[in-house]
Amino acid sequence: MNQSGKILDYDNNRLMMPNKIIEMGLLPETIFKILYQAPFGGPLYIEFGKENSRIALRKEEAEYLIVEQIR
Amino acid sequence: MKMAKNHTQILLVGNPNVGKSTIFNALCNKKQKTGNYAGVTVASHSGTYVYKEREIEIIDLPGSYSIYPDSEDEAIFSKFLIQEQNQYSGAIYILDAMNLKRGLLLFQQIQDLGTPLLLVVNQIDEAEKRGIHIDFELLSQQLNTKIIQTNAKEKIGLDELREAVHQNCFTKSESISFEIPLEQKEVVHRISSQANEKNPYKVWTLLSSEKYLGKLESVHEQLTDHDRKCIVPKRLQTQETIRRYQEIDKILPKVITKKPQFKELLTEKADKLLVHPFWGYVFFAVILLFIFQMVFFMAEYPMHWIDAGFAWLAENVKNILPEGPLGSLIGDGIIPGIGGIVIFAPQIGILLYFLYLLEDSGYMARVVFLMDRWLKVFGLNGKSIVPLISGVACAIPAIMSTRNIENVKERLITILVTPFMTCAARLPVYTIIIALVIPAKKFMGIDYRAIALLGMYLLGFVTALVSALILKKTIKQKTKSFLIMELPPYKKPLFGYDFKLMLGKVWEFINGAGRVILAVSIILWFLSYLGPKQNPDQFVATGVHLHDSYLAKMGKAIEPVVAPLGYDWKMGVSIISSFAAREVFVGTMATLYSLDDDVEEGPIVEKMRNDVKPNGEKVFTLATGLSVLVYYAFAMQCVSTIAVVYRETRSIKWTTLQLVGMTGLAYLAAFLVYQFFK
Repeated sequence: MNQSGKILDYDNNRLMMPNKIIEMGLLPETIFKILYQAPFGGPLYIEFGKENSRIALRKEEAEYLIVEQIR
Repeated sequence: MKMAKNHTQILLVGNPNVGKSTIFNALCNKKQKTGNYAGVTVASHSGTYVYKEREIEIIDLPGSYSIYPDSEDEAIFSKFLIQEQNQYSGAIYILDAMNLKRGLLLFQQIQDLGTPLLLVVNQIDEAEKRGIHIDFELLSQQLNTKIIQTNAKEKIGLDELREAVHQNCFTKSESISFEIPLEQKEVVHRISSQANEKNPYKVWTLLSSEKYLGKLESVHEQLTDHDRKCIVPKRLQTQETIRRYQEIDKILPKVITKKPQFKELLTEKADKLLVHPFWGYVFFAVILLFIFQMVFFMAEYPMHWIDAGFAWLAENVKNILPEGPLGSLIGDGIIPGIGGIVIFAPQIGILLYFLYLLEDSGYMARVVFLMDRWLKVFGLNGKSIVPLISGVACAIPAIMSTRNIENVKERLITILVTPFMTCAARLPVYTIIIALVIPAKKFMGIDYRAIALLGMYLLGFVTALVSALILKKTIKQKTKSFLIMELPPYKKPLFGYDFKLMLGKVWEFINGAGRVILAVSIILWFLSYLGPKQNPDQFVATGVHLHDSYLAKMGKAIEPVVAPLGYDWKMGVSIISSFAAREVFVGTMATLYSLDDDVEEGPIVEKMRNDVKPNGEKVFTLATGLSVLVYYAFAMQCVSTIAVVYRETRSIKWTTLQLVGMTGLAYLAAFLVYQFFK
């Protein structure tokens, strides 16, 4: 929890990726922070971008993103 | 006031959660209606207002993030926007001042499609509080549109908006802000000239959409094999979104100055508790308990008044009208029948009102976040929690609220299992049967009857989950399920708007069910008033004894079918007539018992309690009662729900399967329960 990261790119499997991920603004170079996760491997609650947008997404969707951890 | 004859239609569009409904509500002070437009069912409403003697109709479309639809809701939005382009004269685009970036994506797409647009930037006060300052003059130049600043909640900027609409300040952009990528440029231009479509972006959107947005067939026929290789709709969409965001990122730093480090304090603090892995669930349970408490206890008073009011009305009507057929039709059939519906309006209203408030405050999105992991196990989506809870009021709005579930399979399962949730229409049946067969005793201070009622709610919920699990295993569907959802900042709900919304829904319920009951009571009354002729010179016998009526003959004919469940012919008739709607059961029972001269006068429950079979046994025993309860818990006894399921699934197969499956399960379960307890 409370880990920050930067989106570098999308997974190779990008044709399977829901376009909504990009529409929501999860673009390369975006900085994000994981705030919460629902128990037992539930969805992630993340805050990202200059607007501090908050969205929920499942782990499966998050795996389409190639990210770099920021300390 | 004089009104112009040809009124103007204006669309209201934007992302979800930008204050669209607030603006709609503040603009339209006149008649609101839900309407259907040429082939497209619009989920949202339309309303009108008059400004400077001109009537303006506002059509509120569902919110969307892009013109490429992911869900049914967004499909409604895109289809209307693109296919009905000559129906409306312009669109008001609402942008949230705190999230310009996400909003501008859709704005530019709509602008590029050639729709005349007027931009409204809403919640400027909230943005300013957060240290966000926007240079509107520059933004207006960059986007080539007029901008109105509003703070709709405080009704600021609305007059300017009305004036701008009046002046027709909608601008149509001549150029296209999105440059068609080189790779597809040739195809797009060739098709535009062949199809005589001047707007290359329109052709591009047709090529990029997987689900058909427009009349695509003619375009697709013209594609060569080589074209098809460079046109992968998904890839085109991704490309477009990324490029647009790159352009938007160039504009934004010029127009926005932002003080760093503003903290969304309320939301941050509240979410520490509300999405907590333990306390979050506790809080949700408390909220649910509170709502149900309100539904049952707060509704008690108005229900009492309604009951007394209708009894008084029936009594007076019977006194005024001459003794005879008409008086008994109205006094014994229609008025009690309609009263039986109206009495549930307070419960439905209270439940819906609380649900709207939760949705509006931003809390429902957190519930979706908390429940997704658990509902996934049953083949549902976190978003299914909203239909499941509203199904406790009425399955019809609940099934319509599944439209924002993107995955087809999850949406279908949600639609199929929602009618198992104990809706308000089951309550009259449960209440009367429980009062009949469950003793009014207490166990450790808790009323047996309360436990029985709670048990019925649990039974419905568990059955919904179990059937979802079975459907998950049986439906073969490969499209990937996902959950990507905005978690909006918390805000004070619009109490007045939600109240109006609730009143509208409750009225729809009363109106719809009222008509059915009216029709059913009239038919029943005729069938019970008339009977086979008793002497040769009659055509039919009138004013017969209930036992000699056509109704009784029919009821007795179907008795063999319902006898294994422990029912007599009166209950058989009530069940058949309540195929229209569950609550009709009680109305029919009331009509039948009030027509039966053999039964002593008194409250309906007493009449039912004292009724005996020809062999002297009581009609209502524990076994019969439980059998009726179980039957109504499972059976699909509601024509309106069947119609909505068909409309939403567009599948005769699934609608029939649901009807047969639920009613079959009901018959079997009622049979087993009766045989076990007999």
